Amino acid sequence: MNGLAAAMSWQNFIFALIGCVLGTLIGVLPGLGPAAGTAILIPLTFRLDPTGALIMLSAIYYGAMYGGTITSVLINVPGEAASVVTCFDGHQMAKQGRGGTALGIAAIGSFVGGIAATIALVVVAPPLARVALSFGPPEFFALMLVGLGLVTSLAGRSLAAGLAMAVLGLLIAMVGIDPVRGAPRFTFGIPSLYDGVGFIPVVMGLFGVAEILLTIGAPTRQVIATKLTSLLPSREEWRRSWGAIGRGTGIGFFLGLIPGVGAIIPTFVAYVFEKRISKTPEHFGQGAIEGVAAPESANNAYANAAMIPLLTLGIPSSPTIAVLMGAFIVNGLTPGPFLFQERPDLVWAVIASFFLGNVLLLILNLPLVGLWARILHLPYQYVCVGTLLFCILGAYSLQQNVFDVGVMIVCGIIGYGMRKIDLPIAPLVLGLILGPFIEKSLRTSLEMSGGDFSIFYTRPLCLGLLVVSALILVASALRLAPAEVREASKN
Amino acid sequence: MSRVITAIISAATALALNIAGAIGQDFPNRPIQLMVAYPAGGSTDIAARIVASIAEKELGQPIVVVNKGGAGGQVGWTDMVRQKPDGYYIGFINLPATNTVILDPERKAIFSEKDFTPIINQVLDPGVIWVKSDSPYKTVQDLIVAAKNSPNTIRAATTGILSDDHLAILMTEEAAPGAAFRLVHLEGGAAQFKEIMAGNVDVAFDNVGSIVPRVRSGEVRALAVLDDVRSKFLPEVPTTKELGYPTIISNSTRGIAGPKDMPAPIVAKLREVLKKAMEAPEHVKKLEEQGIAIRIMVGEEYAKYFADTHAKAKKYTEWAKNRPQK
Repeated sequence: MNGLAAAMSWQNFIFALIGCVLGTLIGVLPGLGPAAGTAILIPLTFRLDPTGALIMLSAIYYGAMYGGTITSVLINVPGEAASVVTCFDGHQMAKQGRGGTALGIAAIGSFVGGIAATIALVVVAPPLARVALSFGPPEFFALMLVGLGLVTSLAGRSLAAGLAMAVLGLLIAMVGIDPVRGAPRFTFGIPSLYDGVGFIPVVMGLFGVAEILLTIGAPTRQVIATKLTSLLPSREEWRRSWGAIGRGTGIGFFLGLIPGVGAIIPTFVAYVFEKRISKTPEHFGQGAIEGVAAPESANNAYANAAMIPLLTLGIPSSPTIAVLMGAFIVNGLTPGPFLFQERPDLVWAVIASFFLGNVLLLILNLPLVGLWARILHLPYQYVCVGTLLFCILGAYSLQQNVFDVGVMIVCGIIGYGMRKIDLPIAPLVLGLILGPFIEKSLRTSLEMSGGDFSIFYTRPLCLGLLVVSALILVASALRLAPAEVREASKN
Repeated sequence: MSRVITAIISAATALALNIAGAIGQDFPNRPIQLMVAYPAGGSTDIAARIVASIAEKELGQPIVVVNKGGAGGQVGWTDMVRQKPDGYYIGFINLPATNTVILDPERKAIFSEKDFTPIINQVLDPGVIWVKSDSPYKTVQDLIVAAKNSPNTIRAATTGILSDDHLAILMTEEAAPGAAFRLVHLEGGAAQFKEIMAGNVDVAFDNVGSIVPRVRSGEVRALAVLDDVRSKFLPEVPTTKELGYPTIISNSTRGIAGPKDMPAPIVAKLREVLKKAMEAPEHVKKLEEQGIAIRIMVGEEYAKYFADTHAKAKKYTEWAKNRPQK
């Protein structure tokens, strides 16, 4: 409990505040992700004492989770990978004049998700950490297959199109150095492709640039509602959101405990889950508020929960957390069970700062929502050019490589085409993310078993997950077929 | 008349600047990029940022650390060899990782060992074999006996394909004929730690710098350091040489190099500045806190080390590519 008092010291409060602001900025700027941003700021923290440094860096980390939402909603450009899903409904809401509401519910959902995860961290951290350990490569593979099964819910009207796009995503994910032999695949001798096509430029193109092209190409100028509607959700919207926030928090929290699950996966899962249990699934993709509330809660719950394996076992769940872990180590502290025992004051101070950080983020961001939403009311010529510039700078900032900008532009054109002929983009993104995870975990599992496939059905958790993924696929096939049959018989 | 004078003055200035540039006397006159071929946050990256923040004060120009991760470093090194050798773009090379990328025919690397100008080495991190603290293997001998009794069953984790850890496992199999491990290639030390703790792999081959704090805390047991002298960070851990396996010597070094054909005065200047930074107490302290051993090598010594490592890596890379189970 001394830790809680320590976190309330003026200095640490300031560090948390600076961290939240910096994090939000990093999240807003497309391209520069929390991992790179945090790493760049590590030397700054050398001057600070370890507690202060860690508080600031943690604040940057989950600040970035929120910042990415702003651009997703306003201009359909995901500020960073985890914000992609928010584009689906968030930007639609913005086009309908409810951008402020979208940002508002995102802030609230993020707050709830973050606080709930932190409370859980405090109350049940060590036993939960065991969950992290029980997910080995075979379980991970099975979990990713479950994720792939979700694609059927993102397919929209045509299941075949959705599946085709998912496979296309998987194919694109194969570009690069193969994880088994180290041989380049589909790289055409271009060194920039050795590490794959680059997820962020692709999504910035498919969503952001495509949106610009569509709007330019629209025959009539779309007028965004001139009246700034209330920034808070209506009673009806609140009602729908609470459930979504709760479920998103649960999903994000659970997935945050599993090392190796990237930030974007909980957002997809939460979104699809919400869509499946909704009575009005056709609203999703057209501006359903649950479609914003669920992923946003999920990703902040994930961000806070992902600290649990780090603090209790010393296992980083994602590259960004690995950077945070590097920061711990550089400051002379090794995260793990022994850190809890040796320096409980420090660990509690960091945990207390999570609470503080989440509150700060809410306070910082809610009032600003009105300001951000006004951007939508600028003449579209300016928003359009500004967004394009923003995207180009963002794509370039990733690796100082013009190739990424090229990828983004090409994907922008592809995304435009896809929207024109009504091919769903979300399954492609899902395939693109899950592809490498599936391949690597399959390969590592087989290395562990010496080539024996029985490893997948002799491990109970893995077998269970495989059964779940099979059930999801079967259920989707059954669910969708009747609707398509009905449509066909109407014509 | 005044036009002629202006012309003469501008020509003279241009000439003077060019000469100065050619001699490198006003090098550097703008920021320098220091490339790290791995994503941010790894140990190469952290050590790079530390040395950059100290060296730039001496250099008088900012040294910007740029991450170009991917393909085990191949993306970054490919980028570096195509830059102008004017001293404004230098980067970290990691031996033997750089060597194995060159030597593996499937990687189709566009560079060879001749495409680099080695400047100065920073770190030499010896290899280490470690297990969970409650593992049945208490010594390297236990491990080798088990590997001989049940070949291809003991799961040995590396931090990457054709990493120094991978080669070290092959060296171990060579030194103990009949011993065979089942190789599991993970990505990075964090993944190794997790899989060992979860019991999904039995033994890990990694480097001292990655696990010193965990050995100290008792979470893991280090069986041997793959060097000919004991590590000052793990003084109680025997070396493979002491244990009767003097051929199992493996380490990972990180040093700074530039594209080939860098002018000698520029190399000398960079070397001098970087050496001073690496010897600074702040640098030494920060690296030692993490258990990373500094080993400064310059000039001939570094070039020779590069060549030696290359020759050694060649042998094991060929073996690795031809081995039935990689």
